[in-house]
Amino acid sequence: MIWLTWRQFRAQAITATAAVVAFAILLVVTESRMSSLFAASGITGCHGGTCAGAATRFLVNLSSGQTFPLLPNGANAYVILYFLSVLIILAAPAIIGIFWGAPLIARELENGTNRLAWNQSITRTRWLAVKLTLIGLTAMAVTEALSLLQGWWAAPIGQAVGLGGSASIMSEGRFGIFIFPTHGITPLGYAAFGFALGVTVGLLIRRSIPAMATTLAIFAVVQFAVPLWVRPHLIPASQTIATLAAAEATVTPAGGSGIAVIASVIPGHPGAWITSSSAVNTAGQPVTGPAACESAIPRNINPGGTISWARCLASHGVRVAASYQPGSHYWPLQLAETGLFLALALALAWYCFWRLNRRLT
Amino acid sequence: MTAVIETEGLGKRYHKLWALTDCSLSIPAGHVVGLVGPNGAGKTTLMNLATGMLAPTAGRIEVLGERPAAGPGQLAQVGYLAQDAPVYAGLSVADHLRLGAHLNPGWDSELGRRRIGQLDLDPGQKAGKLSGGQRAQLALTIALGKRPELLILDEPVASLDPLARREFLQNLMEIVGERQVSVVLSSHLISDLERVCDYMIVLVDSRVRLAGTVDELLATHHLLSGPRRDPASLPDGVQVISASHTDVQSTLLVRTSGPVLDPAWTASEVGLEDLMLAYMKQASGRGQHHRHLEVQK
Repeated sequence: MIWLTWRQFRAQAITATAAVVAFAILLVVTESRMSSLFAASGITGCHGGTCAGAATRFLVNLSSGQTFPLLPNGANAYVILYFLSVLIILAAPAIIGIFWGAPLIARELENGTNRLAWNQSITRTRWLAVKLTLIGLTAMAVTEALSLLQGWWAAPIGQAVGLGGSASIMSEGRFGIFIFPTHGITPLGYAAFGFALGVTVGLLIRRSIPAMATTLAIFAVVQFAVPLWVRPHLIPASQTIATLAAAEATVTPAGGSGIAVIASVIPGHPGAWITSSSAVNTAGQPVTGPAACESAIPRNINPGGTISWARCLASHGVRVAASYQPGSHYWPLQLAETGLFLALALALAWYCFWRLNRRLT
Repeated sequence: MTAVIETEGLGKRYHKLWALTDCSLSIPAGHVVGLVGPNGAGKTTLMNLATGMLAPTAGRIEVLGERPAAGPGQLAQVGYLAQDAPVYAGLSVADHLRLGAHLNPGWDSELGRRRIGQLDLDPGQKAGKLSGGQRAQLALTIALGKRPELLILDEPVASLDPLARREFLQNLMEIVGERQVSVVLSSHLISDLERVCDYMIVLVDSRVRLAGTVDELLATHHLLSGPRRDPASLPDGVQVISASHTDVQSTLLVRTSGPVLDPAWTASEVGLEDLMLAYMKQASGRGQHHRHLEVQK
């Protein structure tokens, strides 16, 4: 069965290997300039306050200047590379689900070859177990390999962002909606889930092309929904109340005397992931804008206007209450999200075994 | 006589439609069994149930004394050539033999090689590029290579031209001759089965209408012709399968264990094909059709 799995999977395996190698070459070639800029920036050996400046300098240098051949003039090679590489890791589980998962059973059913495969001296359960295990593990390995490569390449950027540096759009921390699911161990979970999802959808729809489209649609919805509604609650968030200034909060009017507030830092927890913020009074109860500040409400949102309004609010005791995941929650969150997707993948696989034995032609 | 396939009240329903209902039969070992029936009689459904490709909705089925596809041991004993002879289009002929060798512990690699040589197949050729006849032969090779006790063939020659059809069946007979293998073979073309089968089962509307060895069937059926009269006047023990009348003459197909002695009737032998057609016609209750034929005479 291992031979047959390999024989049927050979073409996809070669394509995947070629893709990983191309990805690696691209990153290895472009890494040297990044490390020399990093060395020149003075981040190594910086102390306290000088660090953020050095980090920003590094990021600015990296995202300006030299363009690479084949890229449009003036386009920034490293910004493009950075996002492209992240997007590839983000898309890999979906691609695996579509091209490896969905046709795995659907193509057999479509061509009737399941009647050949399932009438050899081997049970359907074993047939599926070998396929799911070998291809599923390959899917996880490929995605994690891409992630590790990108992580190695982007380490200087991550370090600079961690030190408070920011430039252009390369300032997403490790909790960022693109960064979190593409680094650490989460790619393992996403890959396993994408593959199992494709296999299950293929088994249910029984035709490859519609199964591929459906897999993509479901995976996209999951990838969109998880950071919004699931990830913030995987581990109970911490709560804090801080002054508007300490939280570096942005304050905007929200209809009538409502206050929309967004904290951007949690005092004492640099790099924390702020999942929600709201305006409260000193006692911690939700507040609306005090009447005394109404004259200061900016008519149109201009920075000067909001600042004077924010000052007035602060002087009347308006604070920001924020829910956040501190940096120490990074690995527990990674573990929880990966575990969630691995559990989903196993549940889908279990369903496939059940259906293959009970309900199938 | 042990049974290779035994069913009792077997039924299969797809959504609301029953493809097979209340099917009870016992197919004895050591025969080449022809399974005949009009399209939609449930032949393929029965074969899919016998190979475990489908699970029954009602009743039970045992193949070689076990539930179909119960485990690797049971699977190893049954060779199945599914309808349209499925093969992997992207895999070569040699790959298919390798597939057989890897997935069947009892694989007969000698047979595989010999057959590919005899059939003049190029081992490197992709199976998707084979002709219908070659594909059927390749699929049969895989089904045989596992050294089954029972070979189930679902319409193996349906898509073949007359020459390939004859070759395939001849080849099958040689194999049956050299190995102890029971065969169940379905077709809606009786003439194909007539040539190779020594046991016939007529399946109509999922019911077994007729089953027995060819010799026995031919010995117990007679075509009677004589002056027109009521078939009811025949003696007990003579069962009328079909009757047609002209103004002056009656022609009856009857089943009886003894000879027909009434001198008013002229008895003659009946061909296997006519015999089975009569059962199919009777079972499907084609009264309209019947009268129409009568007028034409």
